[in-house]
Amino acid sequence: MKEIVAVVRMNKVGATKKALVDAGIAGFTAVKVMGRGKLVKDASLIEERKKTLLALNPHNTSCGKEKMVTEFLDGTRLFPRRMFTILVHDDEVSKIVEAIIQVNRTENKVGDGKIFVLPIMDAIRVRTGESGDAAL
Amino acid sequence: MIMVRAIVRPEKKDVLLGELSDAGFHAATVVEVVGRGKQKGIQIGDLIYDEIPKTLIMLAIPDEDKDDVIGIVLKYARSSGGGAFGDGKIFVSSIDEVHTVSSGKTGL
Repeated sequence: MKEIVAVVRMNKVGATKKALVDAGIAGFTAVKVMGRGKLVKDASLIEERKKTLLALNPHNTSCGKEKMVTEFLDGTRLFPRRMFTILVHDDEVSKIVEAIIQVNRTENKVGDGKIFVLPIMDAIRVRTGESGDAAL
Repeated sequence: MIMVRAIVRPEKKDVLLGELSDAGFHAATVVEVVGRGKQKGIQIGDLIYDEIPKTLIMLAIPDEDKDDVIGIVLKYARSSGGGAFGDGKIFVSSIDEVHTVSSGKTGL
């Protein structure tokens, strides 16, 4: 048994849920979290992202948009993400990881999220008391 | 690789994240949680508060950085005057695999 913890973009939640169902795993727990990733050292990449983000809504020039975008990119601000926790059998791990990667990858090069695979000792279904692989 | 989950006071979150970033541990996931500890919550008169708000900070780090990260959390999440009940707990667990979605690479 493994626990897959995947941190994904908020607007990819629907796609991720659908991908999980398609991969044969319907059960998961999702939590709204705040987070930040590795500091991006590549200045040109940051410059490019900043330009795209600022161009998203050119009519909105108030409310410190530029400051906010800068803080997003230099890492002083945490941004919202959805964290999925999925319990799977050992042999399904790579399939699920692949499915999550496929639907969550974007053209932005950064910020698509991370997937962690953790060992888990036991799982118990409350309704029947089954434990181990039978409980998943 | 290991996963460090630190449950700390919400008011310590910002200083802790700042110190972790300065020490090179920039990436983190933060969740607002409620919970209770060994003291069974806080009792004031007949009222028991057992859903005390805390902040859960999750960090995925290489094995050799474990002591550094735990040291930072212990130093900056502890209340002044040698600590107090409710300062939090740190849990450490192992990670089998890490995948980065944007690049498809494995590892931290």
